[in-house]
Amino acid sequence: MNFLDIISSLLLFAGTFFAFSGAVGLFRFPDFFTRVHAASLTDSIAAILMIAGLLLQTSFDLNTAKLIFILVFLLITSPTASHALAKSARHGGLLLFTEKPTKQGGTNQDD
Amino acid sequence: MRISKWAILLIVYWLLLSGFIQPLLLSFGALSVAIVLIVIKRMDAVDTQQNLVRKDHQLMHYCIWLVGEIFKSSMQVTKLIWTSPEKVSPTVAKIDVKDMPESARVLYANSITLTPGTISVDLEDDQITVHALQHPSIEELEQEDMKNRVAQIWEKST
Repeated sequence: MNFLDIISSLLLFAGTFFAFSGAVGLFRFPDFFTRVHAASLTDSIAAILMIAGLLLQTSFDLNTAKLIFILVFLLITSPTASHALAKSARHGGLLLFTEKPTKQGGTNQDD
Repeated sequence: MRISKWAILLIVYWLLLSGFIQPLLLSFGALSVAIVLIVIKRMDAVDTQQNLVRKDHQLMHYCIWLVGEIFKSSMQVTKLIWTSPEKVSPTVAKIDVKDMPESARVLYANSITLTPGTISVDLEDDQITVHALQHPSIEELEQEDMKNRVAQIWEKST
């Protein structure tokens, strides 16, 4: 087992730890919006660490380029998906658990 | 000039994704690139966005800095998950982006969402609505460190 393999397995291990934390956070946080935050942990840091770990396992050929493409597209699309979820929840009138509903329902802010 | 840049980018992209150097597949690649270039050329007619020059070295700097930020805020969120998930203080705030060009706004909103602990919920009327897991994250955004870094990437072409 050489040096690169050790670094690579450390990165993969850290990645799985963060992905697992994100999953646990999904259950432990109180409402929808805070849960999206927990899920974004899996999207961002876990994806970066795992792909970095996998990059060290390649022999710097076409697969390296493909992994980098995967990372770039993940980093563009996953925030877009979280944004779409949060936006539709907010526009649908979902409240933060700290907010109180107004008489008409919906948020008590002016939007 | 711009078209030839796109041509090089698309050819490199095709080669990296396919990896086959055979006449048949290469000709498919050349055909696809040609079609995309024709579409790009034709779409110029309906393109009304102002022309901005992106500084690629600044973009690289920004990406590296962003990964650092993602790492820092991931640590905070992870700590919160494992120790005291009831201590969250969710906050909704509006961040002003009046003086940014549109493409920079998209990158800014996407970076906010990418950083764990903050989500951009809405982007309209020159304002980004941000939902934060903890109140201090909003204060951090209001210091406009990230915003200034995003703004540095683009400059108006004259």
